[in-house]
Amino acid sequence: MSSSKQFSALVRMNIAGIGQQIGPAVTIVIGIASAVGVLSAMLAMSFGAHREAMADVRADRVVLTSVGSQSVNDSSIPREAASAIGDLPGIRRSAKGQPIAVLEAEVIIEARRREGGARIQFPLYGVSSGLTDLRPELHVSSGRMFRPGLHELIASDLCAREYSGFDIGDRRTLRGGDWTVVGHFDEGPTIVCTLYTDAGSVLAAFGRDSYNDATVMLQSPSGFGAFEAVLKANPGLRVRAEREREVVEQNMKGFDRILQFAAYFVGAIMAIGATLGAMNSLYALVDIRRRDIATLRAIGFGSGPILTAVLAESILLAVLGALVGAGLAWIFFNGLSASPFGVSFQLAVTPLVVAVGAGWALLMGLMGGLLPALRTARVPVTAAFRAS
Amino acid sequence: MKYLPLLWSGIWRKPARTTLIMLQVAVAFALFGVLQGMKSGVDHVVANARADLLVVHSRVSFADSLPLADLQRIKSVPGVKMVGIVDGLRATYQKPNQPVGVVAADLSQAWVTANVLAVSPQALRAFEQTQTGALITSGLARQYGWKAGDRIPLLSATRQADGSGSWVFDVVGTFVDKLDVQGNDFVLIHYSYLDAARQANKSTVARYIVVLSDPKQALTVADDIDRQFANSSNETQTDSFRELAQSQMQAIGNLNFLIRSVIAAVLFASLFSTATMMMQSIRERSPELAVLKTLGFKARDIFVLILAEAMAICFAAAALGLCLAEVAFPFAARTVPGIAMPAAVVEVGLAASLLVALLSVAAAAVRAAKLEVVAALAIR
Repeated sequence: MSSSKQFSALVRMNIAGIGQQIGPAVTIVIGIASAVGVLSAMLAMSFGAHREAMADVRADRVVLTSVGSQSVNDSSIPREAASAIGDLPGIRRSAKGQPIAVLEAEVIIEARRREGGARIQFPLYGVSSGLTDLRPELHVSSGRMFRPGLHELIASDLCAREYSGFDIGDRRTLRGGDWTVVGHFDEGPTIVCTLYTDAGSVLAAFGRDSYNDATVMLQSPSGFGAFEAVLKANPGLRVRAEREREVVEQNMKGFDRILQFAAYFVGAIMAIGATLGAMNSLYALVDIRRRDIATLRAIGFGSGPILTAVLAESILLAVLGALVGAGLAWIFFNGLSASPFGVSFQLAVTPLVVAVGAGWALLMGLMGGLLPALRTARVPVTAAFRAS
Repeated sequence: MKYLPLLWSGIWRKPARTTLIMLQVAVAFALFGVLQGMKSGVDHVVANARADLLVVHSRVSFADSLPLADLQRIKSVPGVKMVGIVDGLRATYQKPNQPVGVVAADLSQAWVTANVLAVSPQALRAFEQTQTGALITSGLARQYGWKAGDRIPLLSATRQADGSGSWVFDVVGTFVDKLDVQGNDFVLIHYSYLDAARQANKSTVARYIVVLSDPKQALTVADDIDRQFANSSNETQTDSFRELAQSQMQAIGNLNFLIRSVIAAVLFASLFSTATMMMQSIRERSPELAVLKTLGFKARDIFVLILAEAMAICFAAAALGLCLAEVAFPFAARTVPGIAMPAAVVEVGLAASLLVALLSVAAAAVRAAKLEVVAALAIR
């Protein structure tokens, strides 16, 4: 009998034999299922948040901030620079022939979550005209658009849903003036609450004479290099350009770091535990089958196929565990709304998450099965004939 | 006592198996310790935050400022014992990637008396006598080797009257911030100096800190202060430190469900693992246990023996795991600064390990106790 035939016969025999020694096998599956389940659930947070944050990103949108600034918060673009930015070559024009360049003045405000009352801070953007040209994904879902100069603001659906004080008609006092919420808007998937009003009102109310940043739409995504060169040729503007994707990714960095650290830290600890458990169970299985193994050796089975059959069994059980774990994570966590650290998103147990879990499981099965498999090779043939 | 050698030899009958199971349980409890530690650590921070101190800031947000003129009006609110001013600037030292926080305050003995911060009388006197004086946290002193007498040049986006963003302060000593559980490092300077020197935002403050005469009145006083400024162009928002800690920590509170699931999964897995291993062990040891019975050991003795074995293994493993958790905790808790692992977590963990042992071994121990001597010896 060839080695491969021996191997497949042994695998079939081992699987058939699992029913008689259900304990160790179930232990392996449960251990690995919990490790993969936890890993999947944690990764689902990071994946879910990322998916929603990136959904609206466009390759032809570019954010301009002042040279030397760390982020939008400490960036500053003087009022006078606004028209110069609009006149830069490479910027797309709207149907009315206006350059699609929106200057934004950002103010951080806070509101309470409807649930639990936690205070969360988020940005109010005062924008110059052209918001809907710049963000075609944005449309008013109820109420109406704000009118400039009247201290009106519109809130994203997420704000209205998750925070109190953003129903249409609600008033907020900012710097002495009453600001009225006149509409809600849908901007596709987002993770943070966003408010818009006109830039003039914000600058006047907060006594500022500079914007934070400008977002422009290029004629084509490939025009980024040329646009950067134009900015280099205009050092007097003191602005630099970043693709929208880079800015969003930069903003997500801290959050990502926390979630990924949590996922891989907790996942790795659980994987170590599951591997140790699998190893122990397989040792037990090999011990139980000592006589069988010796008998097989006596009738001519090679130690190679016997060894690999144990390894294969371990990996099979591990993958089964991974499927159970990912399945449980999907049932309990997929689509679950989470709102840690002031952002809101839904967990997403994507195929990629499951694949990562399965990959880890393979590794756990391999590591856990290696030593017990090697032990089978050391079972002496005489063990078959010895009592216990 | 006479059972001890028996217990010991039972535990180490199969050293590899016992070691593996101990490691597995240890890993489970290490994770339990870290996660439960973070959860309890957060609760602890909230419970320990001071309720007798209020923070008054702009209703717009923490990032906005309030006029200095509010000071007298806040002082006049009944129940207010003392009001402190806090402002600041963000700066860097030598390199753009070395940020240094600078807090400007009207520091006086009253702050020390109110236990807001600790500073030696000499350092306080030196600070009061030096206009550009700065007190630093010991962390900064360690990090940059700053000491009293040094002049430290900092760069900031906050401009001086002449348009320059460079600020130079004279270190006069160190201080300890009693409020900041997160252990942030910063430089403390005179508010009067900052306000006189800066170009913009003159006569504004980031926030006021109010010390109450009676902590029980926190809510009333907070409402009274906010009412003073209602409908003005600078509405205030007043909260106690405890409230702030609560809302800050609530940010991770949403993850409780996840944390609980992880703890449940890890404990369940190790419970099941221990249970199968003990069952397997009892099966293998049937003849030995039968011999013990023949020698006169009662069913109850055997039961207790097996129970004790599992409890010893789990307890030792959990102790090891919780030690690992203590080591790993600061590493994991970086994401939530300022929390420490409460001792109660260790106690709960050890108790839980005994429970895991009991639950996992009960079936096996009953089986061992009920063992029929003849049948057991007959197994080959």
